[in-house]
Amino acid sequence: MSGQNKDKSVQDKLTDLSELVGWFQGASFKLETALDKFKEAEALAEEIEKDLTKLKNDIKIVKKRFDSEV
Amino acid sequence: MDDVLLSVGEFVALTNQTLEYAYPIVQVEGEVSEFRIAQGKWVSFKLKDDEAVVNCFTALAQMRVPLEDGMRVIVIAAPRLNNKGYFNLNIRAVKPVGEGSIKKGFELLKAKLEKEGLFAPERKRMLPRVPKHVAVVTSTESAAYADFIKIINERWGGLEVEVAHTQVQGVPAPDQMIRAIRYFNSLEILPEVLIIIRGGGSAEDLSTFNDEPLVRAIAESRIPTLVGVGHEVDHTLADMVSDVRAATPTNAAQILVPDKQEIIRGARAQANSVGYLLTQAIDSYSRQTKENLGAAFQRIQEKLDDAFERLGVLRVATSQLNPENVLKRGYALLRGDQTVGAKLEIETATNILTTEVQDVRAK
Repeated sequence: MSGQNKDKSVQDKLTDLSELVGWFQGASFKLETALDKFKEAEALAEEIEKDLTKLKNDIKIVKKRFDSEV
Repeated sequence: MDDVLLSVGEFVALTNQTLEYAYPIVQVEGEVSEFRIAQGKWVSFKLKDDEAVVNCFTALAQMRVPLEDGMRVIVIAAPRLNNKGYFNLNIRAVKPVGEGSIKKGFELLKAKLEKEGLFAPERKRMLPRVPKHVAVVTSTESAAYADFIKIINERWGGLEVEVAHTQVQGVPAPDQMIRAIRYFNSLEILPEVLIIIRGGGSAEDLSTFNDEPLVRAIAESRIPTLVGVGHEVDHTLADMVSDVRAATPTNAAQILVPDKQEIIRGARAQANSVGYLLTQAIDSYSRQTKENLGAAFQRIQEKLDDAFERLGVLRVATSQLNPENVLKRGYALLRGDQTVGAKLEIETATNILTTEVQDVRAK
Protein backbone atom coordinates (compact mmCIF):
# COMPACT_ATOMS: atom_id res chain seq x y z
CA MET A 1 0.00 0.00 0.00
CA SER A 2 2.73 2.45 1.01
CA GLY A 3 4.66 1.57 -2.16
CA GLN A 4 1.63 2.32 -4.32
CA ASN A 5 1.00 5.63 -2.56
CA LYS A 6 4.59 6.83 -2.57
CA ASP A 7 4.23 9.04 -5.63
CA LYS A 8 0.69 10.19 -4.93
CA SER A 9 -0.09 13.75 -3.85
CA VAL A 10 -1.97 14.53 -0.66
CA GLN A 11 -4.97 15.41 -2.79
CA ASP A 12 -4.85 12.00 -4.50
CA LYS A 13 -4.64 10.29 -1.14
CA LEU A 14 -7.59 12.31 0.16
CA THR A 15 -9.56 11.22 -2.90
CA ASP A 16 -8.58 7.58 -2.31
CA LEU A 17 -9.69 7.85 1.32
CA SER A 18 -13.05 9.33 0.32
CA GLU A 19 -13.50 6.53 -2.23
CA LEU A 20 -12.83 3.95 0.47
CA VAL A 21 -15.50 5.53 2.68
CA GLY A 22 -17.82 5.45 -0.36
CA TRP A 23 -17.04 1.76 -0.90
CA PHE A 24 -18.10 0.98 2.68
CA GLN A 25 -21.37 2.83 2.12
CA GLY A 26 -22.03 1.50 -1.38
CA ALA A 27 -23.40 -1.59 -3.07
CA SER A 28 -19.94 -3.08 -3.76
CA PHE A 29 -19.35 -3.64 -0.04
CA LYS A 30 -18.26 -7.20 0.82
CA LEU A 31 -17.51 -8.27 4.36
CA GLU A 32 -14.78 -10.61 3.08
CA THR A 33 -12.64 -7.69 1.82
CA ALA A 34 -13.79 -5.04 4.30
CA LEU A 35 -11.02 -5.64 6.82
CA ASP A 36 -8.31 -5.07 4.19
CA LYS A 37 -10.07 -1.89 3.04
CA PHE A 38 -10.28 -0.69 6.63
CA LYS A 39 -6.51 -1.23 7.08
CA GLU A 40 -5.95 0.63 3.80
CA ALA A 41 -8.02 3.59 5.07
CA GLU A 42 -6.10 3.73 8.35
CA ALA A 43 -2.76 3.68 6.49
CA LEU A 44 -3.93 6.46 4.14
CA ALA A 45 -5.00 8.68 7.05
CA GLU A 46 -1.59 8.19 8.66
CA GLU A 47 0.23 8.96 5.40
CA ILE A 48 -1.83 12.12 4.85
CA GLU A 49 -0.95 13.33 8.33
CA LYS A 50 2.75 12.59 7.79
CA ASP A 51 2.80 14.25 4.36
CA LEU A 52 1.05 17.39 5.57
CA THR A 53 3.30 17.68 8.58
CA LYS A 54 6.55 17.38 6.66
CA LEU A 55 5.72 19.26 3.39
CA LYS A 56 7.10 22.80 3.07
CA ASN A 57 6.06 25.48 0.60
CA ASP A 58 8.54 26.48 -2.08
CA ILE A 59 8.46 30.27 -2.45
CA LYS A 60 10.43 31.83 -5.29
CA ILE A 61 10.71 35.53 -6.13
CA VAL A 62 10.64 35.99 -9.89
CA LYS A 63 13.93 37.50 -11.08
CA LYS A 64 12.32 39.44 -13.91
CA ARG A 65 11.76 43.12 -13.15
CA PHE A 66 8.41 44.68 -13.89
CA ASP A 67 9.32 48.36 -13.54
CA SER A 68 9.84 48.77 -17.29
CA GLU A 69 8.74 47.14 -20.54
CA VAL A 70 12.16 45.54 -21.11
CA MET B 1 18.61 86.36 -28.19
CA ASP B 2 17.66 90.00 -28.96
CA ASP B 3 19.46 89.93 -32.29
CA VAL B 4 18.37 86.44 -33.41
CA LEU B 5 15.55 86.37 -35.90
CA LEU B 6 13.47 83.22 -35.66
CA SER B 7 10.72 81.87 -37.83
CA VAL B 8 7.47 81.04 -36.02
CA GLY B 9 8.21 77.32 -36.32
CA GLU B 10 11.71 77.85 -34.94
CA PHE B 11 10.33 79.90 -32.05
CA VAL B 12 7.82 77.14 -31.15
CA ALA B 13 10.57 74.50 -31.39
CA LEU B 14 12.93 76.59 -29.24
CA THR B 15 10.22 77.23 -26.66
CA ASN B 16 9.51 73.50 -26.49
CA GLN B 17 13.22 72.71 -26.10
CA THR B 18 13.43 75.20 -23.26
CA LEU B 19 10.31 73.78 -21.62
CA GLU B 20 11.61 70.24 -22.01
CA TYR B 21 14.89 71.21 -20.39
CA ALA B 22 13.36 73.28 -17.57
CA TYR B 23 10.16 71.30 -16.92
CA PRO B 24 10.36 67.87 -18.57
CA ILE B 25 7.45 66.64 -16.46
CA VAL B 26 5.20 68.64 -14.15
CA GLN B 27 2.51 67.62 -11.71
CA VAL B 28 -0.38 70.06 -11.58
CA GLU B 29 -3.47 69.82 -9.41
CA GLY B 30 -6.73 71.45 -10.40
CA GLU B 31 -10.40 70.99 -11.29
CA VAL B 32 -11.49 69.49 -14.62
CA SER B 33 -13.74 71.58 -16.84
CA GLU B 34 -14.89 71.45 -20.46
CA PHE B 35 -13.98 67.79 -20.70
CA ARG B 36 -14.25 66.61 -24.33
CA ILE B 37 -13.53 63.47 -26.34
CA ALA B 38 -12.92 64.17 -30.05
CA GLN B 39 -13.19 61.57 -32.83
CA GLY B 40 -13.43 58.87 -30.18
CA LYS B 41 -9.68 59.03 -29.52
CA TRP B 42 -8.53 62.48 -28.34
CA VAL B 43 -9.22 63.92 -24.91
CA SER B 44 -9.04 67.58 -24.03
CA PHE B 45 -10.09 69.52 -20.94
CA LYS B 46 -9.21 72.59 -18.98
CA LEU B 47 -7.54 72.35 -15.61
CA LYS B 48 -8.40 75.29 -13.45
CA ASP B 49 -8.23 76.78 -10.01
CA ASP B 50 -9.28 80.16 -8.63
CA GLU B 51 -6.37 81.93 -10.27
CA ALA B 52 -5.74 80.36 -13.66
CA VAL B 53 -6.67 77.82 -16.27
CA VAL B 54 -4.53 75.60 -18.52
CA ASN B 55 -5.39 73.35 -21.48
CA CYS B 56 -4.75 69.64 -21.15
CA PHE B 57 -4.52 67.17 -23.99
CA THR B 58 -3.99 63.42 -24.36
CA ALA B 59 -4.99 60.33 -26.30
CA LEU B 60 -8.09 58.53 -25.00
CA ALA B 61 -6.01 55.33 -24.71
CA GLN B 62 -3.82 57.11 -22.14
CA MET B 63 -6.78 57.75 -19.85
CA ARG B 64 -6.83 55.21 -17.03
CA VAL B 65 -9.74 56.64 -15.07
CA PRO B 66 -12.87 58.25 -16.55
CA LEU B 67 -13.10 61.99 -15.89
CA GLU B 68 -15.97 64.38 -15.61
CA ASP B 69 -16.24 68.13 -15.19
CA GLY B 70 -15.85 69.17 -11.57
CA MET B 71 -13.47 66.33 -10.60
CA ARG B 72 -10.30 67.32 -8.80
CA VAL B 73 -7.24 65.69 -10.34
CA ILE B 74 -3.47 65.71 -10.47
CA VAL B 75 -2.10 65.61 -13.99
CA ILE B 76 1.41 64.41 -14.69
CA ALA B 77 2.26 66.06 -17.96
CA ALA B 78 4.81 67.59 -20.30
CA PRO B 79 4.17 71.34 -20.98
CA ARG B 80 4.19 72.06 -24.70
CA LEU B 81 3.41 74.87 -27.13
CA ASN B 82 1.75 73.45 -30.22
CA ASN B 83 2.10 74.66 -33.81
CA LYS B 84 -1.19 76.55 -33.59
CA GLY B 85 0.14 78.62 -30.72
CA TYR B 86 -1.82 76.95 -27.95
CA PHE B 87 -0.10 76.03 -24.73
CA ASN B 88 -1.01 72.55 -23.50
CA LEU B 89 -0.16 70.12 -20.81
CA ASN B 90 0.42 66.87 -22.72
CA ILE B 91 -0.80 64.38 -20.19
CA ARG B 92 1.17 61.27 -19.27
CA ALA B 93 -1.05 60.32 -16.34
CA VAL B 94 -4.03 61.72 -14.53
CA LYS B 95 -5.35 60.65 -11.17
CA PRO B 96 -8.33 61.87 -9.19
CA VAL B 97 -7.52 63.38 -5.79
CA GLY B 98 -9.73 63.90 -2.78
CA GLU B 99 -12.37 61.49 -1.60
CA GLY B 100 -15.15 62.90 -3.76
CA SER B 101 -13.19 62.78 -7.02
CA ILE B 102 -11.75 59.33 -6.32
CA LYS B 103 -15.26 58.07 -5.62
CA LYS B 104 -16.61 59.74 -8.74
CA GLY B 105 -13.86 58.16 -10.89
CA PHE B 106 -14.59 54.81 -9.26
CA GLU B 107 -18.32 55.06 -9.95
CA LEU B 108 -17.86 56.16 -13.57
CA LEU B 109 -15.49 53.29 -14.35
CA LYS B 110 -17.59 50.82 -12.39
CA ALA B 111 -20.68 51.76 -14.46
CA LYS B 112 -18.69 51.42 -17.69
CA LEU B 113 -17.25 48.00 -16.82
CA GLU B 114 -20.54 46.78 -15.42
CA LYS B 115 -22.19 47.64 -18.73
CA GLU B 116 -19.59 45.46 -20.46
CA GLY B 117 -20.48 42.59 -18.12
CA LEU B 118 -17.04 42.38 -16.48
CA PHE B 119 -18.53 41.85 -13.02
CA ALA B 120 -21.12 39.28 -14.12
CA PRO B 121 -21.33 36.28 -11.77
CA GLU B 122 -21.24 33.85 -14.73
CA ARG B 123 -17.70 35.06 -15.57
CA LYS B 124 -16.43 33.95 -12.16
CA ARG B 125 -14.26 30.85 -12.19
CA MET B 126 -13.76 28.44 -9.31
CA LEU B 127 -10.38 28.17 -7.67
CA PRO B 128 -8.90 24.69 -7.24
CA ARG B 129 -9.54 23.34 -3.73
CA VAL B 130 -5.90 22.46 -3.22
CA PRO B 131 -3.63 24.23 -5.74
CA LYS B 132 -0.06 23.02 -6.27
CA HIS B 133 1.34 26.01 -8.15
CA VAL B 134 0.26 29.63 -7.67
CA ALA B 135 1.53 33.10 -8.60
CA VAL B 136 1.46 36.21 -6.44
CA VAL B 137 1.68 39.83 -7.55
CA THR B 138 2.51 42.19 -4.71
CA SER B 139 5.21 44.23 -3.06
CA THR B 140 7.50 41.75 -1.32
CA GLU B 141 8.51 44.53 1.06
CA SER B 142 4.99 44.90 2.43
CA ALA B 143 3.57 43.61 5.71
CA ALA B 144 0.64 42.25 3.70
CA TYR B 145 2.99 39.92 1.79
CA ALA B 146 4.69 38.79 5.03
CA ASP B 147 1.27 38.01 6.56
CA PHE B 148 0.14 36.17 3.44
CA ILE B 149 3.24 33.94 3.38
CA LYS B 150 3.01 33.30 7.14
CA ILE B 151 -0.60 32.14 6.88
CA ILE B 152 0.15 29.99 3.81
CA ASN B 153 3.02 28.27 5.65
CA GLU B 154 0.88 27.70 8.74
CA ARG B 155 -2.01 26.26 6.78
CA TRP B 156 -0.45 24.18 4.01
CA GLY B 157 2.68 22.59 2.55
CA GLY B 158 4.02 21.46 -0.82
CA LEU B 159 2.81 24.57 -2.62
CA GLU B 160 4.97 26.16 -5.30
CA VAL B 161 4.59 29.94 -5.01
CA GLU B 162 6.06 32.31 -7.63
CA VAL B 163 6.10 35.93 -6.51
CA ALA B 164 6.39 38.99 -8.76
CA HIS B 165 7.59 42.03 -6.84
CA THR B 166 5.87 45.22 -8.03
CA GLN B 167 4.89 48.54 -6.61
CA VAL B 168 1.34 48.51 -5.30
CA GLN B 169 0.76 52.24 -5.08
CA GLY B 170 1.75 55.31 -7.05
CA VAL B 171 1.66 56.07 -10.74
CA PRO B 172 3.97 53.22 -11.92
CA ALA B 173 2.14 50.55 -9.89
CA PRO B 174 -0.69 49.63 -12.31
CA ASP B 175 1.65 49.13 -15.27
CA GLN B 176 4.04 47.05 -13.17
CA MET B 177 1.21 44.84 -11.98
CA ILE B 178 -0.14 44.53 -15.55
CA ARG B 179 3.32 43.37 -16.72
CA ALA B 180 3.47 40.84 -13.89
CA ILE B 181 -0.03 39.53 -14.73
CA ARG B 182 0.94 39.19 -18.40
CA TYR B 183 4.22 37.51 -17.46
CA PHE B 184 2.45 34.79 -15.46
CA ASN B 185 -0.17 34.39 -18.20
CA SER B 186 2.59 33.83 -20.76
CA LEU B 187 4.26 30.96 -18.87
CA GLU B 188 4.29 27.58 -20.56
CA ILE B 189 2.95 25.93 -17.41
CA LEU B 190 0.33 28.28 -16.06
CA PRO B 191 -0.03 28.71 -12.30
CA GLU B 192 -3.41 27.50 -11.08
CA VAL B 193 -4.27 30.73 -9.27
CA LEU B 194 -3.07 34.33 -9.67
CA ILE B 195 -3.18 36.22 -6.38
CA ILE B 196 -2.95 40.00 -6.18
CA ILE B 197 -2.61 41.42 -2.68
CA ARG B 198 -1.97 44.70 -0.91
CA GLY B 199 -2.53 45.84 2.64
CA GLY B 200 -4.64 48.72 3.81
CA GLY B 201 -4.04 52.32 2.80
CA SER B 202 -5.69 55.62 2.01
CA ALA B 203 -8.35 55.88 -0.68
CA GLU B 204 -5.69 57.43 -2.91
CA ASP B 205 -3.26 54.53 -2.30
CA LEU B 206 -5.93 51.98 -3.07
CA SER B 207 -7.11 53.89 -6.15
CA THR B 208 -4.26 52.11 -7.97
CA PHE B 209 -6.61 49.12 -8.00
CA ASN B 210 -9.27 51.16 -9.81
CA ASP B 211 -7.01 51.67 -12.81
CA GLU B 212 -8.87 50.69 -15.97
CA PRO B 213 -6.04 48.84 -17.80
CA LEU B 214 -5.17 46.96 -14.59
CA VAL B 215 -8.80 45.98 -14.03
CA ARG B 216 -9.02 44.79 -17.64
CA ALA B 217 -5.77 42.82 -17.33
CA ILE B 218 -7.23 41.01 -14.30
CA ALA B 219 -10.45 40.33 -16.21
CA GLU B 220 -8.51 38.97 -19.19
CA SER B 221 -6.25 36.71 -17.13
CA ARG B 222 -6.29 33.10 -18.33
CA ILE B 223 -5.37 32.14 -14.77
CA PRO B 224 -8.23 32.35 -12.23
CA THR B 225 -7.67 35.38 -10.02
CA LEU B 226 -7.90 35.96 -6.28
CA VAL B 227 -7.64 39.60 -5.22
CA GLY B 228 -7.28 40.81 -1.63
CA VAL B 229 -6.73 44.54 -1.31
CA GLY B 230 -6.96 46.71 1.79
CA HIS B 231 -9.32 45.94 4.64
CA GLU B 232 -12.72 44.28 4.66
CA VAL B 233 -14.55 47.59 4.09
CA ASP B 234 -12.41 48.56 1.08
CA HIS B 235 -13.82 47.78 -2.34
CA THR B 236 -11.83 48.23 -5.51
CA LEU B 237 -12.67 47.47 -9.12
CA ALA B 238 -9.76 45.00 -9.17
CA ASP B 239 -11.41 42.83 -6.53
CA MET B 240 -14.84 43.25 -8.11
CA VAL B 241 -13.57 41.94 -11.45
CA SER B 242 -11.55 39.08 -9.93
CA ASP B 243 -12.85 35.53 -9.89
CA VAL B 244 -12.71 35.47 -6.10
CA ARG B 245 -12.56 38.47 -3.79
CA ALA B 246 -10.72 38.19 -0.50
CA ALA B 247 -11.51 40.74 2.21
CA THR B 248 -7.81 41.11 3.12
CA PRO B 249 -4.44 39.56 2.12
CA THR B 250 -4.72 37.24 5.16
CA ASN B 251 -8.17 36.19 3.99
CA ALA B 252 -6.68 35.53 0.51
CA ALA B 253 -4.26 33.03 2.10
CA GLN B 254 -7.17 31.39 3.96
CA ILE B 255 -9.20 31.11 0.76
CA LEU B 256 -6.25 29.84 -1.27
CA VAL B 257 -5.31 26.77 0.77
CA PRO B 258 -7.15 24.59 3.27
CA ASP B 259 -5.97 24.31 6.86
CA LYS B 260 -3.82 21.17 7.11
CA GLN B 261 -4.90 20.60 10.73
CA GLU B 262 -8.51 20.47 9.55
CA ILE B 263 -7.55 18.09 6.72
CA ILE B 264 -5.67 15.82 9.17
CA ARG B 265 -8.66 15.83 11.52
CA GLY B 266 -10.94 15.09 8.55
CA ALA B 267 -8.74 12.19 7.36
CA ARG B 268 -8.68 10.71 10.86
CA ALA B 269 -12.46 11.09 11.09
CA GLN B 270 -12.87 9.33 7.74
CA ALA B 271 -10.64 6.43 8.83
CA ASN B 272 -12.64 6.21 12.09
CA SER B 273 -15.89 6.29 10.18
CA VAL B 274 -14.64 3.34 8.08
CA GLY B 275 -13.90 1.45 11.32
CA TYR B 276 -17.38 2.26 12.57
CA LEU B 277 -18.92 1.15 9.27
CA LEU B 278 -16.96 -2.12 9.45
CA THR B 279 -18.17 -2.80 13.03
CA GLN B 280 -21.70 -1.95 11.97
CA ALA B 281 -21.43 -4.31 8.99
CA ILE B 282 -20.12 -7.15 11.17
CA ASP B 283 -22.95 -6.56 13.69
CA SER B 284 -25.47 -6.45 10.91
CA TYR B 285 -24.15 -9.69 9.31
CA SER B 286 -24.09 -11.40 12.70
CA ARG B 287 -27.64 -10.28 13.48
CA GLN B 288 -28.79 -11.34 10.03
CA THR B 289 -27.18 -14.78 10.42
CA LYS B 290 -28.84 -15.25 13.82
CA GLU B 291 -32.15 -14.20 12.36
CA ASN B 292 -31.73 -16.59 9.42
CA LEU B 293 -30.84 -19.49 11.74
CA GLY B 294 -33.82 -18.67 13.98
CA ALA B 295 -36.10 -18.58 10.97
CA ALA B 296 -34.72 -21.93 9.73
CA PHE B 297 -35.29 -23.59 13.15
CA GLN B 298 -38.77 -22.13 13.25
CA ARG B 299 -39.61 -23.61 9.87
CA ILE B 300 -38.19 -27.01 10.80
CA GLN B 301 -40.23 -26.96 14.03
CA GLU B 302 -43.36 -26.05 12.10
CA LYS B 303 -42.78 -28.90 9.63
CA LEU B 304 -42.24 -31.36 12.49
CA ASP B 305 -45.36 -30.18 14.31
CA ASP B 306 -47.31 -30.55 11.10
CA ALA B 307 -45.96 -34.09 10.51
CA PHE B 308 -46.75 -35.12 14.09
CA GLU B 309 -50.27 -33.77 13.76
CA ARG B 310 -50.84 -35.68 10.53
CA LEU B 311 -49.37 -38.81 12.11
CA GLY B 312 -51.86 -38.50 15.01
CA VAL B 313 -54.79 -38.25 12.59
CA LEU B 314 -53.55 -41.28 10.67
CA ARG B 315 -53.13 -43.20 13.90
CA VAL B 316 -56.75 -42.52 14.86
CA ALA B 317 -57.95 -43.47 11.39
CA THR B 318 -55.86 -46.63 11.39
CA SER B 319 -57.05 -47.65 14.82
CA GLN B 320 -60.66 -47.13 13.75
CA LEU B 321 -60.11 -49.50 10.82
CA ASN B 322 -58.65 -52.29 13.04
CA PRO B 323 -61.22 -55.29 12.99
CA GLU B 324 -60.42 -56.08 16.66
CA ASN B 325 -61.71 -52.60 17.63
CA VAL B 326 -64.90 -53.17 15.52
CA LEU B 327 -65.49 -56.53 17.31
CA LYS B 328 -64.99 -54.73 20.67
CA ARG B 329 -67.84 -52.40 19.77
CA GLY B 330 -70.18 -55.46 19.60
CA TYR B 331 -69.93 -56.40 15.97
CA ALA B 332 -69.12 -59.99 14.83
CA LEU B 333 -67.24 -61.42 11.90
CA LEU B 334 -69.10 -64.07 9.87
CA ARG B 335 -67.27 -66.65 7.73
CA GLY B 336 -68.87 -69.40 5.51
CA ASP B 337 -71.36 -69.90 2.62
CA GLN B 338 -74.79 -68.28 2.83
CA THR B 339 -76.72 -71.43 1.89
CA VAL B 340 -79.18 -73.55 3.90
CA GLY B 341 -77.40 -76.27 5.83
CA ALA B 342 -73.98 -74.68 5.48
CA LYS B 343 -71.79 -74.24 8.56
CA LEU B 344 -70.96 -70.67 9.56
CA GLU B 345 -68.20 -69.43 11.87
CA ILE B 346 -69.04 -66.35 13.97
CA GLU B 347 -66.19 -64.45 15.62
CA THR B 348 -66.94 -61.95 18.41
CA ALA B 349 -64.58 -59.90 20.53
CA THR B 350 -64.19 -62.74 22.97
CA ASN B 351 -65.44 -65.97 21.26
CA ILE B 352 -65.62 -67.95 18.00
CA LEU B 353 -68.96 -69.75 17.49
CA THR B 354 -69.95 -72.35 14.89
CA THR B 355 -73.58 -72.51 13.64
CA GLU B 356 -75.67 -73.91 10.76
CA VAL B 357 -77.72 -71.88 8.20
CA GLN B 358 -81.41 -72.78 8.49
CA ASP B 359 -82.96 -70.20 6.19
CA VAL B 360 -81.78 -67.70 3.55
CA ARG B 361 -84.08 -64.86 2.43
CA ALA B 362 -83.44 -61.95 0.20
CA LYS B 363 -83.63 -58.49 1.92
